[in-house]
Amino acid sequence: MKITVSKDQMLEALQQVQTVVSTRTTLPILSNVLLRATGETLELTTTDLDVGIQRKISADIAKPGATSLPARRLFGIFRELPAGEAEIEVDDKNIASIRCGSSFFKIMGLPAEEFPPLPKFDGGKHFKIAQASLRDMFRKTSYAISNDETRYVLNGAFMQFKADKLTMVATDGRRLALVEQDLEFPKANEVEGILPTKAVNELMHLLGDKGEVHAIVTENQMAFEMQVSAVPAATATQPEKGKEEKPKSDSPNLMIVSKLIEGNYPNYRQVIPSECKERVTLERESLLTALRRASLLCTEKSNSVKLQFSKNNLAVIAKSPDVGEARESLAINYKGKDVAVAFNPEYMMDPLRNLDSDEVHLELIDELSPGVIKVNAPFLYVLMPMRMS
Amino acid sequence: MPVTRTILHVDMDAFFTSVEQRDQPELRGKPVVVGAPPDKRGVVAAASYEARKFGVHSAMPSRTAYRLCPQATFLRGDHAKYSRESERVMAILRQFTPLVEQVSVDEAYLDVTASLRLLGTGEQIAREIKRRIHETTRLTASVGVASNKFLAKLASDMRKPDGLMTITDTDKLDVLRPLPIGRIAGIGKKTEPMFHDLGIHTIGDLQQFPIKTLRARFGVWADEIKARALGEDDQPVEPYSEVKSISNETTFEEDVSEMRTLERAVRELADEVGRRLRAEGVRARTVQLKLRWSDFTTLTRRATLLEATDDEGRVAEVAIQLMQVELKEPRPVRLVGVGGQNLLRSPRQLELLDRSSNRRDELNRAADEVRARFGAKKLRRGGEL
Repeated sequence: MKITVSKDQMLEALQQVQTVVSTRTTLPILSNVLLRATGETLELTTTDLDVGIQRKISADIAKPGATSLPARRLFGIFRELPAGEAEIEVDDKNIASIRCGSSFFKIMGLPAEEFPPLPKFDGGKHFKIAQASLRDMFRKTSYAISNDETRYVLNGAFMQFKADKLTMVATDGRRLALVEQDLEFPKANEVEGILPTKAVNELMHLLGDKGEVHAIVTENQMAFEMQVSAVPAATATQPEKGKEEKPKSDSPNLMIVSKLIEGNYPNYRQVIPSECKERVTLERESLLTALRRASLLCTEKSNSVKLQFSKNNLAVIAKSPDVGEARESLAINYKGKDVAVAFNPEYMMDPLRNLDSDEVHLELIDELSPGVIKVNAPFLYVLMPMRMS
Repeated sequence: MPVTRTILHVDMDAFFTSVEQRDQPELRGKPVVVGAPPDKRGVVAAASYEARKFGVHSAMPSRTAYRLCPQATFLRGDHAKYSRESERVMAILRQFTPLVEQVSVDEAYLDVTASLRLLGTGEQIAREIKRRIHETTRLTASVGVASNKFLAKLASDMRKPDGLMTITDTDKLDVLRPLPIGRIAGIGKKTEPMFHDLGIHTIGDLQQFPIKTLRARFGVWADEIKARALGEDDQPVEPYSEVKSISNETTFEEDVSEMRTLERAVRELADEVGRRLRAEGVRARTVQLKLRWSDFTTLTRRATLLEATDDEGRVAEVAIQLMQVELKEPRPVRLVGVGGQNLLRSPRQLELLDRSSNRRDELNRAADEVRARFGAKKLRRGGEL
């Protein structure tokens, strides 16, 4: 294999794929990035066997072929190389020589055949959604994903394609975030799965503002194909043979595949309160600020804020026996009964930070029943209170 | 210190046995021991003055007590009754000042400095406290009056039973001088010989002793014990003493190696731990297990939980896991203890999905109320029957 690539494009691609490479792995091949050169394309693939990422960049291919090289080390090299073009030449013992300007590196690789292939998605169900919409859905729910490994079905975002909608749910057992997005697809395509946290985080980083993402769902895998805008190939030398870089239509240049979490997602519908006693509209920013200030007086041992509603007033109160007390008052439009309910301030701030509407509606029943945050969009957040002593 | 404080130490006289002698007139004037039965293992919780004449004292093995005083009446004791009596006594004390620091079931400090103008001198208040306690409970208390907690406690002990003693700041040095140094809190069996090595036997010796030499030997502690020897103590009376850990243990009548019996014992102990955690409004992040083998060697094992708990089921579950690790090979156990540590005071986060844990919480609280009203034995889990 012998290729020439733009340093900047290669660096960007390595940056995108190296994040799934595990630092401590029992299988040495999983520390490597698979490089496959065919036609005018270099394909870079990494995997930790649960999540895999594949990125394609254009390259000048003198001799097609494939190898695998240590991902972190290769990334480190390309980060430090001078701008311009780099030549990668691999011999039949998988020893790679990298030349760029006056730099020369020789690194040991492993045969491409040893690299675990990414799963096939034959017979999967296909969906198309705007990249920005999907990213937004992850942003509005992913903070509620549980990281308690003993509750592994909650260690991901539940995605349900049903009734012309994509519903995404995340919960850690104490709070639950749900967001919906209209989507057209044939009824036969209805499907659901739990996408693990790692894939969710990768997607949040990689999804862009423009273009669509193509989701393919099978029984136990999900793939996302998209086009990410590549950095222009800043060539230090004159373009050879008058060839110029042109983005290849809108064919996807990045794919993320992930195993789905096995098991049944809890019946989240039944924990969403069907009615409420009091409903109050609050300015999102002011509530967030009040909570942030009050929570300055929270400690690990005393991590709750009390929301005290009275006529046209909301007091946000935090008290820690050894530290002190904080009280924030908000003028609100409230005519209901006096209610006081305590919440974990982090749980309350999470959705407020990730929503973008000016107002939120808070619905309450009593101090021991779940509170609900809604906005004027298909989103809701259910939050269990803390028992006041 | 700007104002001279007036501190009272109230100590009920032979509390448990006095309650029994009050309720069972035939026991009056006779040696009575509350604690483990003499033919069983376990210790004396309290001894009446009549039994003390024979050398019986609390924390002594019941078998030893029986050898010293075979004619004594041994009682298991009714701890629910003692708690009720204790609460009546504490209620009386709180009539005199809100600054009441209860140290144990039968003992408390009062800071009456602010009550003096209204209620008279420390000694007058002490006399009135004794009168009201006797009037209400027919029990006697000994009260010590002084300018600090250390001297007040010393004073209450000097005229027992039914005593009243004041140590004034003018005579405190004279009162302390002849006392053995072991009377200072913190100087015990292990540290006493270290003072003897320096030629210090009485508090008087300590009063004279150069502080520099003491510091060289005992570090910062030297200043504290020197202050005590001079009758100084600025520790405040703290009405709410914060609980640091809650534990419960039991000594078996015969060593137990059967896992099922041990597990049941752990569950019973955990029940009490759970109840007390909830009563204190705290949850434990750490569960501790204590095991004592036949040869008296003792080990403790701890596990830290992801989520703090006040549920006895959870405490028992963790303690049993710890025990299973230590008892892979069966081995006779003399004592087992269960405790909760690393206590959090924050409100409990309710569960959204696992509503059964919220219900368990409700159930535990309801059970606590039933037990508080009808006694601990009235309510049991199905498995215990």
